[in-house]
Amino acid sequence: MRHLRVFWRICVETMLGIKHSGWSNWLVVSILAIALTIFGSVLQLTMTLKDVVNYFGSQMVISAFLKDNFEPGKVAQEISQFVEVRLVEVIDKNKSWGEMQKTMKVASIPNPLPNTLHIRVAKPEQVEKLAPKLQLLSGVEAVRYPMMVARRINEVRHFFEIAGVAVTAVLAFATLIVIGNTIHLVIQARHKEIEILSLMGVGHFYIKCPFVLQGAFYGAISALFAAVVIIGVEFYIIKPYISNELVSFASVMPTGLGYNLVETFLIMLALGMAVGAGGGAWASGRYIKI
Amino acid sequence: MIRLQNVSKSYAGRLALKDVNLHVALGEFAFLVGPSGAGKSTLMRLLYREETPTSGNVFIGGVNLNKLSSPQIPLLRRRLGIIFQDYKLLTRQTAYDNVAYILRAHGVDEKEVRKRVNSALNVVNLEDKQDAFPDELSGGEQQRVGIARAIVNGPPVLLADEPTGNLDPATSLEIVQLLARISQRGTTVLISTHDHTIVNTMRRRVISMRAGEVATDVDSGFYEVQGQIQV
Repeated sequence: MRHLRVFWRICVETMLGIKHSGWSNWLVVSILAIALTIFGSVLQLTMTLKDVVNYFGSQMVISAFLKDNFEPGKVAQEISQFVEVRLVEVIDKNKSWGEMQKTMKVASIPNPLPNTLHIRVAKPEQVEKLAPKLQLLSGVEAVRYPMMVARRINEVRHFFEIAGVAVTAVLAFATLIVIGNTIHLVIQARHKEIEILSLMGVGHFYIKCPFVLQGAFYGAISALFAAVVIIGVEFYIIKPYISNELVSFASVMPTGLGYNLVETFLIMLALGMAVGAGGGAWASGRYIKI
Repeated sequence: MIRLQNVSKSYAGRLALKDVNLHVALGEFAFLVGPSGAGKSTLMRLLYREETPTSGNVFIGGVNLNKLSSPQIPLLRRRLGIIFQDYKLLTRQTAYDNVAYILRAHGVDEKEVRKRVNSALNVVNLEDKQDAFPDELSGGEQQRVGIARAIVNGPPVLLADEPTGNLDPATSLEIVQLLARISQRGTTVLISTHDHTIVNTMRRRVISMRAGEVATDVDSGFYEVQGQIQV
């Protein structure tokens, strides 16, 4: 109960600190909201592009040619047990030969084609891992897949991942500095008060914690502002104009893919609060000398 | 209760305290006197661990302050009541909230806070000003809020660093008499001052410092303008 009362008092101190910070609250929230808007937009873009790459990657087919004395259905069942496998399709050799004879007018010879399985994976990066495993199966004669395409798709996907992390790191560092310096100003403005609290025997945690919470509060409010901007752009610009143009321009583009606004907001909120609290902790640790 | 053993303190080679030995017993009331630069404030800062000695040991209630870690310092200060010349009140809080602050910071429930704050404000006779902000109070009233804050935790030791430095003579005497009444309840009180009038009026133990050393230490002493003590 005592700890709850102390926590409540720390929250009260935090709110008083925010109230006394005046105009500097708006300065830090504005800068942080801009940074989070950029971060959220980049996050949405990378998530969408990753989904597009994943979509094309998941359309990639591994062909497994079977030995003659093996039942295709049984091998297909065996292959479907692999966690990477999303779909296995059996291509019957007699059906294929019949179609080939119709379209290519080949001579009447015994069917030379093997039974074939077309295997689709859940994620494109799994193609190169799965293919050697299939080759080891007793019923499989040979495995073919578009190796270069698979590699290129993985490279593009990897690039988006690194770009996302790099942008996040740069923006997080920049906002950490902004919040840290704002909290530093707040600490300077309240240094007499801090000195008095210290002389009264108020604990270090109680003195420093409100500054950490103040930073986290800035992060949360900024994430809300950034979310409003991103949702506004999504509903008033992207959905009515850009999405339709893109689909009519590139009919091969998959539909129904892309980011989730709630997910994006939650990530922005978590990042904003973490960076805000980090900035507060850094500034209070560095500038409050008790 | 308070003990200094061969304590010296220097700042950039300049000696502020030189081999000071001192003992103030539990419940005792003493003045620490001397001209500016005699080392009174340095000694007081050592007692509430704002500074550490260059050599020697400082004990309060048997605890060696030199050995306190940083997180233990607030625990020491909660066992001390500290009164300052410039009052050091939180300007954005009322008299009541200033006194209640330390209790609330330690999670004391509000009913108990009210009881202890009212009792402390009653001791300093400021119950009717509890809702006033510091800038609405006179110097003497602000100092009484400072005293209420210092005693609200029931500390065994009260340290008053020039508590009457900003007050007129009549108010100064009133403040010191208030501290003497608190001392009668068993609290050790050490007051640093260079106000000879109040020292000579009170006729209590007088520890006189000169150039960083304890020059004289006399029970029921006087403090003359030149810094000499008559017995």
